[in-house]
Amino acid sequence: MTADESELRELRASVREFLEAKSPEEAVRKLMESEPRFDPAVWSQAADQLRLPGLAIPEEYGGDGFGLVELGVVLEEMGRALFCAPFFATVLLAAQALLASGDQEACARHLPGIAAGRTTATLAVAEDHGSWDPAMVSARAVPDGDGGWTLRGSKCFVVDGTTADLILVVARTVAGPTLFAVERGTTGLAAEPMETLDATRAMARVTFDAVPATLVGAQGAGGRIMAKVLDIASVGLAAEQAGGARRCLEASAEYARVRHQFGRPIGSFQAVKHKCADMLVQVELAEAASREAALLADEGSDEFPVAAAVAHACCSKAYMVAAMENIQVHGGIGFTWEHPAHLYFRRAKSSQLLFGGPAVYHERLLDRLGI
Amino acid sequence: MEQDMQDFAAEARRFLDAHAAKAPDRTAVVWGEGDDSMAYFSSLPPDEEREFVRRAREWQRIRYENGFGWITGPVEYGGRGLTPVHDLLYDAVESEYDVADTGVLGVIGLGMIGPTILAHAQPHIKDRWLPAMYRGDAIACQLFSEPGAGSDLASVATRAVREGEDWVLNGQKVWTSVAQHSQIGLALTRTDPDARKHRGITAFLVPMDAPGVEVRPLRQMTGGADFNEVFLTDVRIPDDHRLGEVDGGWTVALTTLMNERATVGSEGVGPVAAALSPDHLSALMRATWTWDDRALRARLAELLVDVLATGHLNARALRKLRSGVAPGPEMSVSKLMYGQNLTRAAHFVSDVLGPRIIADTGRWGTYAWTELLLATPALRILGGTEEIMKNILAERVLGLPREPVTTAAKEVRS
Repeated sequence: MTADESELRELRASVREFLEAKSPEEAVRKLMESEPRFDPAVWSQAADQLRLPGLAIPEEYGGDGFGLVELGVVLEEMGRALFCAPFFATVLLAAQALLASGDQEACARHLPGIAAGRTTATLAVAEDHGSWDPAMVSARAVPDGDGGWTLRGSKCFVVDGTTADLILVVARTVAGPTLFAVERGTTGLAAEPMETLDATRAMARVTFDAVPATLVGAQGAGGRIMAKVLDIASVGLAAEQAGGARRCLEASAEYARVRHQFGRPIGSFQAVKHKCADMLVQVELAEAASREAALLADEGSDEFPVAAAVAHACCSKAYMVAAMENIQVHGGIGFTWEHPAHLYFRRAKSSQLLFGGPAVYHERLLDRLGI
Repeated sequence: MEQDMQDFAAEARRFLDAHAAKAPDRTAVVWGEGDDSMAYFSSLPPDEEREFVRRAREWQRIRYENGFGWITGPVEYGGRGLTPVHDLLYDAVESEYDVADTGVLGVIGLGMIGPTILAHAQPHIKDRWLPAMYRGDAIACQLFSEPGAGSDLASVATRAVREGEDWVLNGQKVWTSVAQHSQIGLALTRTDPDARKHRGITAFLVPMDAPGVEVRPLRQMTGGADFNEVFLTDVRIPDDHRLGEVDGGWTVALTTLMNERATVGSEGVGPVAAALSPDHLSALMRATWTWDDRALRARLAELLVDVLATGHLNARALRKLRSGVAPGPEMSVSKLMYGQNLTRAAHFVSDVLGPRIIADTGRWGTYAWTELLLATPALRILGGTEEIMKNILAERVLGLPREPVTTAAKEVRS
């Protein structure tokens, strides 16, 4: 299904209204210091009232069958509000990994619960080194002799890893990196929260001590699955980043209009004005890059992989620039704990580096351009 | 609206199919083959320049005769009476075809001066010049900037003094593109030196063959001469050539400046398109054995991210246009990024080429980049400096307050 421009505007308005009511700054600040780092009641409302978790899940698995364009609108709004919820891990990482695996049985088993908001899920790939390259994985899975598998190893940077009902894991087998599913509460599974630069996105270290696991997709297909998931997840992340960057720009422009020094609004000084214009340029590029990549994904265009790499790099930079300059425009007040500017700064840096950062995404772009 | 746009685009395509060939893909590259020119400015020898202008006039006449010469113009002057969105859409469709470059007539004369004449001239002046301009017969230039009035245009000092039914003009204009080809120029003059600076300006249409008008080419840092200085010495202009009220010339100037618009998707045009093409830059790195240099690769990636993202911005604006929605701030952003991207590309390529860009080894596709390198400083200045563009973005899009007028400036103006 595809929404037209006016439906997208309606979707944006209803998500914004919901988040302004349910995820104001006070709520974000409370949640980022609690465990779990989200409000299960609000998560249920997001699912029941707005059907957000199922938005882009195919109808055959209980979702509404929309694409990345619609999901992008929701993610821009979530990024703007720093919404604390297991949405990114569940919808952009886990659900996309299930879909990319082509394993219909696994999809039928897990996706309806995800679409309904009953199941939260995540994807565990990176280990101590932080790389999402499946070739770097050292966790191992061996057949248990009974048709199942046994998983050993440990994962880091697992988004929402302490609360997810379902953890999809990339582990090494004799056939190469392979995707497995482990449900919460399984014997031998342990998750502990990591301290994070960005407290609005929970991460965990998850250890697997002879944990029984179910194979998802084909043995050795982990590399292929991850290539697909990372493209989609990085475009989803780009939408979040564009939304956050837009909010930083708005905050700076609002402040520059009202804050007076030397008897005039600071926004009338060109040094400040040009800084805001530079932020605007970054934000416009970021929105164009992330929205265009989402559109190319939904059209099944062969330009999508390049566009995904562009969106990831462009939005990572734009958000970081906007978050840094937002503090600068605010001056001392922007450096205080009470001001929200640092929350965006933390989210911007953490998002930029989640999948490896500039060194990784620049080479990925060149690789896709055949350079 | 969307259907109307599709019909209009289809009509434009039928016209263009009948009169022009499709444009070649300028971004495709086979290293060492074809023209390696990287010229941004035309800078042609005189006979080639005459031919260039002749072809421009000829193509404009064909457009005019087929209803595409003045898309937004009123029907009584040979226009189509359609919207600026139709106009932008036509430009976008035409850019897919290999047609004569009409920049010499179009950008300033047809794009900016024509609408100003339409809004402010007396009826017989409109009858005299508007159809002639849009048929490709008359070229118009903009006699605005002066040595002392650049970004601060309202401080023009060229004097116009009334003598009976005439005005006598004296002063110097600068940066005047296409003046050497023009039949008329739109001049801003100072008529009341005692009024506040925006209030003492009057606009005139100056026949460029009037006695006392002298056009001198201005040689720019590329070595070519794409602009002129225009000296006005006791130039007599009849009062019916005045546009707008006496001392009301600033309103006239605003009409002209409001018609200055960025064209959509302009990054794909001309030989410099290659400078922003991943394939071309990649071929260059291979040819110079630098493709595995990590520092250069990182810079190339950063450059291409911005180039490709700007391309996405343009693609989205164009799609909006096709559905009948006028593009917003993205066009100003696109213009800023185009200048910055080309500048960064020129310096990136310089660093890849190393000494091969400081002296000509005769190798294809190397020293030719000096043409672009030397043109790039202009891209951050012409049509509004980067600094003025940023002021406009901040004030009009973000609603930031204008800079207050200082006491010193008030004294100068009063």
